[in-house]
Amino acid sequence: MIISEYMRNEHRECDELFADTEKSVIDGDFTKAEEQFLLFADKTLTHFKKEEESLFPTFEELTGNTEGPTRVMRFEHEQVRGLLGKMAESVENKETDAYLSLAESMMILLQQHNMKEEQMLYAMCDRMMPQEIKEKTLSTMKVIEL
Amino acid sequence: MFNQGGLSLEQAPPFLVVLRFFITATTFGLLLGISLLAYGSELFYIDYTTQITLIHILAIGVMASFMFGALFQMLPVIAGVVIQTPTKKAMLILALLTTGLITQLLTFNSNISLLYAVSAFLLGGGLLHATTIMIRRLVKIADHSTSSKGMLLALIGFSLAILLGIYLLLSLGGYVDATFLIQAKEAHYSFALFGWVALLIVSISFQVVEMFYVTPKYPTLLSNYLPLTLFSLLVLKTVLIFSSINTQMVDGLLAILFIIYAGFTLHRLYKRKRPTSDATVWFWRLGMGLLIITMLLFLADTTVGTDASLKFVSYFTFIGFALSIVFAMMYKIVPFLTWFHLSNQGYIEAPMMHEVIHPKKAKNHFAIHVTTLLLWGLTAFFSQFYILASLMVIISFGWLLYHLIYAMKKYNHTQKHTKKMEW
Repeated sequence: MIISEYMRNEHRECDELFADTEKSVIDGDFTKAEEQFLLFADKTLTHFKKEEESLFPTFEELTGNTEGPTRVMRFEHEQVRGLLGKMAESVENKETDAYLSLAESMMILLQQHNMKEEQMLYAMCDRMMPQEIKEKTLSTMKVIEL
Repeated sequence: MFNQGGLSLEQAPPFLVVLRFFITATTFGLLLGISLLAYGSELFYIDYTTQITLIHILAIGVMASFMFGALFQMLPVIAGVVIQTPTKKAMLILALLTTGLITQLLTFNSNISLLYAVSAFLLGGGLLHATTIMIRRLVKIADHSTSSKGMLLALIGFSLAILLGIYLLLSLGGYVDATFLIQAKEAHYSFALFGWVALLIVSISFQVVEMFYVTPKYPTLLSNYLPLTLFSLLVLKTVLIFSSINTQMVDGLLAILFIIYAGFTLHRLYKRKRPTSDATVWFWRLGMGLLIITMLLFLADTTVGTDASLKFVSYFTFIGFALSIVFAMMYKIVPFLTWFHLSNQGYIEAPMMHEVIHPKKAKNHFAIHVTTLLLWGLTAFFSQFYILASLMVIISFGWLLYHLIYAMKKYNHTQKHTKKMEW
């Protein structure tokens, strides 16, 4: 379960950063919020890049299927990217209500996405990929940067 | 297992169809309040007909409508279930549920034998049609989540409650032998309340509490085995009922398990990562608190026995529990889905969640809901609060109805009057 473990930990780290930002926005500390938001966005986008450039292609190659789960996940990544842009704007403009409203959508969107990945896609990867391919994919992902 | 299209909206019915279920449920809630007012404080001395009329408006008109609407939307999302031609199916189910329930209410109050058969066919058939569609899809999925297994059991529990209900209607109408009427009635209630309403809430919570509030996971032992244990206990209870054996032990176990579940949920909410404490968190906390009170009263009743007032309190705390969770879900999923469906369709000006229903409105509803419950608590001991308590039921459902209609208007307005991006 090395894929699941690594990726799930990344999800949790993103959740922490998201919650920290939201707390600062609620407290009205937008300087801190902006710094934390950048960390959250950076971590999330790097995670997406790891999936899109390493994990998904490996899965697609093994299954011969590019129209299945990975297509759905890529589509959802685009939805998250769109929201990230709007959230960045609201932090920059110090709009508390707009930020919290977008954050609410983002959280539901991200959590349901993470659940699908954790319960199905990562589990499938761990089940189907031979050990050496799993290890190789993992080490490739670890060095990917935004 | 996996769906094509993000949140799998291609397999879900259009948002307006789901909203119609919610609006129907809320309208029946208004009818419930009006009926309570009409019956007056004689509620405590009412006949059996009035009791079952009120119970069915609440259990089917309100709860089943809310839950089927939510299931139609959530099954593709959290269980990966694909329902073909969802709009057609959803509309047929809603039509059968509504006409069937109205026929049933007329049946109870007119006692015309033919109507018993008609309502058994319309309502029983409609509800069974709905559960069968969902069960058939759920059993086929390969990778079950903690929630999907529980949802499957809850739907089986509801199907059993419906079958028992059909038997009750047909025996009351004189179509079948009524030898097991009393046993069937008890089993019907226990599957409807615990095997459907409570079990569905338990199962869905394993996924949505974590998803909406970013909480630690429930212990695997609990999320994997609780739904099946509860369901098995209910089956055992039914066997005992039909064998005329005391069900005290099983009732006690059921109550303890529900208390453990509620305790874990409260702890999850306490440990949530998100700092916001919006009204929906409070609705969940209240719901779990009321579930604990209900089960403690239920335990007391099965062991030492309770008086009529405390029994009445346990009924409305259970109703309060179920409605608190339904309201918590409404204020999360309606704004989210309005925004989500519209932005997915390419509307650049899709309203944000707070523009659909602002959290302040949910907070106001929470205050209304708590006041309603407190007044019913007082009514259990002082009947002069009855009118006020009934009025609060109307205000509570009226408040939600207004915001659901507002969401629907906002949705329609965005579709008709704003620009759409084509991709």
